[in-house]
Amino acid sequence: MAIALSFLTYEWKQNLNKQNMLRTTGWMIALVALTLGTMGFTSPEPETPGDSLIGIWEPSNGRARLKIDRIGTKYYGRIVWLIEPNDPETGQPKTDINNPDPELRNVPLKGYRMLKDFVFQEEDGTWTEGTIYDPLNGSTYSCIITMTDENTLDIRGYIGVQALGRTDVWKRLKMPKKK
Amino acid sequence: MSKTSHLSPILLITVFLLVVGCSGPGEIHEWKPESIEFSLEGPLFEGPNTGQVLLPLDFSEFLGDDSEKKISAARLMSAQVHAGDSLGFQQVRSFVLSFASDNEDVAMQEAAFKNPLPSEVSSVALDVAATADLGELFAEDRVYVVLDVDLMEDFWDGNRAFLLDLRMETKFK
Repeated sequence: MAIALSFLTYEWKQNLNKQNMLRTTGWMIALVALTLGTMGFTSPEPETPGDSLIGIWEPSNGRARLKIDRIGTKYYGRIVWLIEPNDPETGQPKTDINNPDPELRNVPLKGYRMLKDFVFQEEDGTWTEGTIYDPLNGSTYSCIITMTDENTLDIRGYIGVQALGRTDVWKRLKMPKKK
Repeated sequence: MSKTSHLSPILLITVFLLVVGCSGPGEIHEWKPESIEFSLEGPLFEGPNTGQVLLPLDFSEFLGDDSEKKISAARLMSAQVHAGDSLGFQQVRSFVLSFASDNEDVAMQEAAFKNPLPSEVSSVALDVAATADLGELFAEDRVYVVLDVDLMEDFWDGNRAFLLDLRMETKFK
């Protein structure tokens, strides 16, 4: 790329007429676009800084695993695994029986979005504005997520004031490999 | 009886009048977007897999030239999922339909689901949460339609496709 840029600079100095300047500028724009395009296709970096949150996470009690994804610009986490997926009384897959909306109590718990609407804050590297749902009592709390290292999250749920909340530590799990 | 106890009925009446005065009848329209296609790219894993489609919202047919009028409420009336490929609903345990927005002040909302799916069908009407008010979500320029497909086993080869037909009741004021 350095050789290409030197070549273009040399050519530009040698051809001062307007037509050649336009042609050279076009080449430079094409070169920059090609370079950026290639970076976009090959770079392993996440699309946005907040995407480091994407993955499968396990809360400290080890009773569930959640997959965090991005929908649009916000982040959501849904239950993908439960240590006890079936209701011991009925033997059927558990549903969201404590949902405050009776019409949604037959929604499967596996797949339920416990984490909703998190927005990444570039200034301090946290995910805020979201909520966490506790299926054990049907309550929803305000929540802030802090990544303490690339495999550890502090999930702080609270009502009203952050200081009055509770923090749980979640660990990242590796994705299964293709068979 | 305390001196302030007589204030309670007055307060209730005032609140009632405010609510009635502010809600008004508005204009109600039924809105049916074109079929929404979800393509879930494999490999897909046992459990819930998410399909999302960004749906632009344009209610100009109802608003006409009235730029002051805005959507004040929206409710899902029906949601029908159809198989979008020859695999049909093979190994699908359930569907959950939600709506989401990029707006920080507007929360995601579950709106319908089917759990479990009836067997041997290639089209299913989801159970709609009639109480879910989608007004804030549909007041945006666009909304994310999110379909969670719960699979009974891993699906390593190819993609899965589903079509969704929505029917909404929208209210404008």
